[in-house]
Amino acid sequence: MKKNIQICLGSLLLALGSIFTACGPDARLDMVGMFAGTSPTIDERFEQSQEYNKKAGFATIQALSDDYQVYVCTDTHIHNTRTRWQYFIDTYRANPMCPVAVHLGDVIDATTDFEYVEEALAPKPTTMMLPTKSDTLMAVCGNHDIYFKQWKNFIATFKTSTYYFVLKTPTGKQDLFIIYDTADGTVGNKQLQWLEQTLEWADTQDFRHIIACTHTHFFKRDGSQGHCSNFPLEETYALLNLFTQHGVKMVWSGHDHCREITQVKGMTCIVVDSMKDENKEPFYMLVTMGDEIDYEFVAVP
Amino acid sequence: MRTKFILFFILSLCSLFLVPVATAQVQPGDSQYAVSLHVGYAHNLTYASYANFDLDAYMPINKHFDMQANIRTSTANFYTMGVQLRPKFVLPVGELYLEDRLMMRFVSRDSFRDFVHAFSVGYKMQYVNVQVGMSNRIITPLPYEKHSADAMILEPFDAVYRVEAFVRPQTSPWNISLCISNMDNYQVERMWQPMFYLGGWYDINNHWRVRLSGKYKLAGMFHLNAHYYGAELRAGAEYRF
Repeated sequence: MKKNIQICLGSLLLALGSIFTACGPDARLDMVGMFAGTSPTIDERFEQSQEYNKKAGFATIQALSDDYQVYVCTDTHIHNTRTRWQYFIDTYRANPMCPVAVHLGDVIDATTDFEYVEEALAPKPTTMMLPTKSDTLMAVCGNHDIYFKQWKNFIATFKTSTYYFVLKTPTGKQDLFIIYDTADGTVGNKQLQWLEQTLEWADTQDFRHIIACTHTHFFKRDGSQGHCSNFPLEETYALLNLFTQHGVKMVWSGHDHCREITQVKGMTCIVVDSMKDENKEPFYMLVTMGDEIDYEFVAVP
Repeated sequence: MRTKFILFFILSLCSLFLVPVATAQVQPGDSQYAVSLHVGYAHNLTYASYANFDLDAYMPINKHFDMQANIRTSTANFYTMGVQLRPKFVLPVGELYLEDRLMMRFVSRDSFRDFVHAFSVGYKMQYVNVQVGMSNRIITPLPYEKHSADAMILEPFDAVYRVEAFVRPQTSPWNISLCISNMDNYQVERMWQPMFYLGGWYDINNHWRVRLSGKYKLAGMFHLNAHYYGAELRAGAEYRF
């Protein structure tokens, strides 16, 4: 009880503190967005992502074996430094078993230039959605990525924020990864329809596993969330029902900065820890995709 | 589809005939039992357009205690039942009250059940109501499988709040109010999901009151990327005994 009251007061103070500190010359929170988001709406962002998808198509990536590894990080909040971001890139690239890595959003903190993010990918720049690359990095935007009208910069760098890709193994097994945009706490109407259509299509294929990846998490099970919000309840239940009906095995998300694992109707919802440079306990998630899915959380130095 | 329609129809009938009825918001000095019926048109990004039918009962047991019961049926195929118990303490200025709220929502369309308990303390004055408290939520996938490891999900701690301002004293025969809250009689949202309300009433006579209100719900307000999520327009009449 005492802890809950402390969490409550702490959250309120954090929120109030955020409001005041966000008004300074080095503002890192877009307080205008509290009442009117400064980037396009989710339906508009979805349309832009679809435009790119129509041109580029959806990637099929070849894994080197039936059991391969996927590196998952989130909430890097790159601002003045990118130490852990660089570490993450170097680590997954050094693993020949890893055909793909996923960033679950909040790549930057707010006003960081996306070029600073991209430089860490040099000298081997990763281009989104090119299936021939062996070190493809897949990303989805988080709320911080679209503060201060920055959606246009995110989309210029990562090209799309709603898409899927297929991982194909040497023996013909296939895993489907669906990436969807929840940077403003909702999937919206058009993207929800796209998710329904994509999962209906997936039902007709023979996928070994279906994984959904996004930024916003479903539940508020502890006080770690502080001042980060979830989906509206109506949408929470609609998405959970949609995913469980179509056999999605796991939903990976971030946003909370604190690990949380929840089982719903046989589906595992994982919130991955933050990998922000200032974070005292940073982790990324290492997932081994085989006939079973194993995951572990790896501490970042 | 047919089953859903039949269930909806039965629940509508139940709410009309079986429930001790009432009013939406309690006003200082309210001492009459009351019953109200409201109809609402709503829209959100998930359900698109839908309609709600609300039946409420307000029961002032004595001057220190009142109760309220609420039922909502919706064409979006969710059903809400709630009860509120309020011990009250009249102060030299305004009224202090405690509120214990239990609410069960069957989201049949998505096969989930949502049970919320909220305990709050409130203070009423002529022009302002303020309420703040804590809530917890149990989310149960349906059908309920009690032997399953994921039979229910507990959200053990959250906050509830309500701040409402009136343009006239709350005892007036007509009034307009503006409110921000994460809860109403049919839904308790998470603490960072506020909803905005604009409403008013007009007393036709000592027994009949008509009400009109609107609700606006943003998504992502505390993602700092707020955009429209949903809205509701609600109208109804209240009979006070």
